[in-house]
Amino acid sequence: MTAPAQPLAFPGAPDLRLVAVARSRRAPRVGTWLLLTVVLAAAFFLFIYSRIALDHSAFVLQEVNRQMEVEEARYWQLRLEAAELQAPERIVARAQEMGLTYPESVQTITVPGMGAPGIGADERWADLKALLGAQP
Amino acid sequence: MSLPPTVTPRRSRGLNARLVMVGVALALAWLGVGYRLVVVQGTRAEEYAARGRDQRLHTETLAADRGTIFDAEGRELALTVDSVTVYANPAEVTDPAVEARYLASLTGQDPDEVEAILSGEGTFAYVARQLDPADADLVRAAELPGIYFLEEPKRVYPAGALTAQVIGLVQPDTNEGLEGLELFYDTALAGTPGQLRVERDPAGRTIPQGDYSVTPAEPGSDLVLTLRTSIQYAATQALAEAMARTGATSGSVVVLDPVTGGVLAMVNLPGFDPEDRASLLPENVRNRAVTDLFEPGSTQKLVTIAAALEAGLVEPGTVLEIPASIEILDTVFQDFTQHDSLLTVTEIVAHSSNLGTILLGEMLGAQRLHDYMVAFGQGRRSRIDFPGEAAGVLQPSEDWCITTCVAGTSIGYHVSVTALQMAAAYATIANDGLWVQPHFVAEVVDGQGSRLPTAPNRQQVVSVETARQMRAMLAAVVEQGTGSLAAVGGYRVGGKTGTTKKYLSESGEYSDEDVVASFIGMAPIDNPRVVVAVVLDSPQEDASGGTGAAPVFSAVALAALHQMGVPPDAP
Repeated sequence: MTAPAQPLAFPGAPDLRLVAVARSRRAPRVGTWLLLTVVLAAAFFLFIYSRIALDHSAFVLQEVNRQMEVEEARYWQLRLEAAELQAPERIVARAQEMGLTYPESVQTITVPGMGAPGIGADERWADLKALLGAQP
Repeated sequence: MSLPPTVTPRRSRGLNARLVMVGVALALAWLGVGYRLVVVQGTRAEEYAARGRDQRLHTETLAADRGTIFDAEGRELALTVDSVTVYANPAEVTDPAVEARYLASLTGQDPDEVEAILSGEGTFAYVARQLDPADADLVRAAELPGIYFLEEPKRVYPAGALTAQVIGLVQPDTNEGLEGLELFYDTALAGTPGQLRVERDPAGRTIPQGDYSVTPAEPGSDLVLTLRTSIQYAATQALAEAMARTGATSGSVVVLDPVTGGVLAMVNLPGFDPEDRASLLPENVRNRAVTDLFEPGSTQKLVTIAAALEAGLVEPGTVLEIPASIEILDTVFQDFTQHDSLLTVTEIVAHSSNLGTILLGEMLGAQRLHDYMVAFGQGRRSRIDFPGEAAGVLQPSEDWCITTCVAGTSIGYHVSVTALQMAAAYATIANDGLWVQPHFVAEVVDGQGSRLPTAPNRQQVVSVETARQMRAMLAAVVEQGTGSLAAVGGYRVGGKTGTTKKYLSESGEYSDEDVVASFIGMAPIDNPRVVVAVVLDSPQEDASGGTGAAPVFSAVALAALHQMGVPPDAP
């Protein structure tokens, strides 16, 4: 609040008044402090959350690693099973169970266009095998 | 009014003294605590921190995956899978008899043996090693007290006995190579173990944000063999049939690719099942084709006659007069086949004439004959990539006796070889005179997938022309001579029979009853793709190379040619 102006006692002087200005009282910056507190609190909670999330991720990672080991073991077991299924002894035994037998004699078929044995015969033979393999 | 005299009670002085004592005691206690604090937090802080860290930090060895062994067609012959070992803490087993019966029913063991394990002293005992994880899960589900589990890598061999003597074995505990290729390539297959440093809580869980460092294990290299399982199977079947037919005590078959030197098949019977170690006999683990010696007999004539041709002493059509016998001191050499007295060199081979070959050997002389034998790979290791290879026996020529040594050596006595050495010698003729180092591994594939092909040694032994002439003579053996049972339908083949008395090392004499029957040949004869060596030890029926071993060659060569897609070259 401003005090009433007092005229100065100077003759001939213009009508000047000395105005005493009362000391201004600043309003407390509540908003800034509040904001700072909120930011600090948020940072604190964010930090806590990050730690928890990180810890959780570590456990998830551990579980994923464990799962990966399980799947890897399963992969090798399947490879073993596939290899055992390919064993000639098993295939021959299975074929015999199904009534398949070895031919008494092997008959060689001469295919027109195959030409004589010699240079290039292997390639022609491979072509023919591929052709025969493609037949239904 | 007078004041009573001041009296200092004795009690009060005693109280003070006790207070002082308590104070001193407390002060000393505080000093002790303070001293300890200074020690723990100050002077020995690092030591205590380290001790605490060591209780949480665990260093674990990361086992390197042992490499896989593939055949030439990409089939796994040896690989490593996870397995579970069951062990017990006998001190924690509450009822050994009941637990033993249950465990035995799941693992297929003898209940009494399991009970003995569970009733034993100590705190650790293996119950069942390297079980299939599915089987171990059944045991785990039972939650038996005192029973624990341990994960272990297990080496398995899907082809079983078929390739056992070639692939070999590993030590079950450590997976280190014991025999065969597993031993020879152990360093490459094993890889390098890694290391894991991790902080764990008392329950064994990893502490997030704790110390963690890992040095990954480097996986072992894979091996890609030249071996073909399909040919190996055919060779095994043919040899088993021949042993049953002839009553031979053992036998070997070697199939080589003459151009590359790669072993396409190598079979020895009797063999063994790598999954059944309880009944494993040491003599059956041996790869006889590489380790066992025999006198080659008439199959050696290929070397003698090729040397004579290469030296320019004779040509295939050169006619020699063959005597009825050759007598040196008390040794009489004879022929066991009927033939004319005049034979060409080709006919000497076709009729397997000992006397004709001895004449050629005498023309060569000891030194030249010896040098050609060494060039063909006799008397020295081929350096095949397999442990325990025998070098054979071939004396230096200066040590040869001046009586029967040249004659005997010419026809395959006084010299001992392995089946592999003889197969490589015949492969030299099949490969236009170029000897190629036999080998099992075509390439090594490291953990990063880099392929490292093997590079076998090569050595020109005889000229292309000599090799071609020898092949024509070998074809005559099958088409006109002693090896007719080696014929293969659809293909022209060639080879040589051999029948030698068995040398008994115990007595230092030749057996009167037992022989070694062999046949070594190649097909197709004009452009050989396979060389097959067959050796039968002590056949009782069909006890000759022509009748005992030649049919095995025929069956194996046919299967190999079909498997390799070689077109027929004969009507």
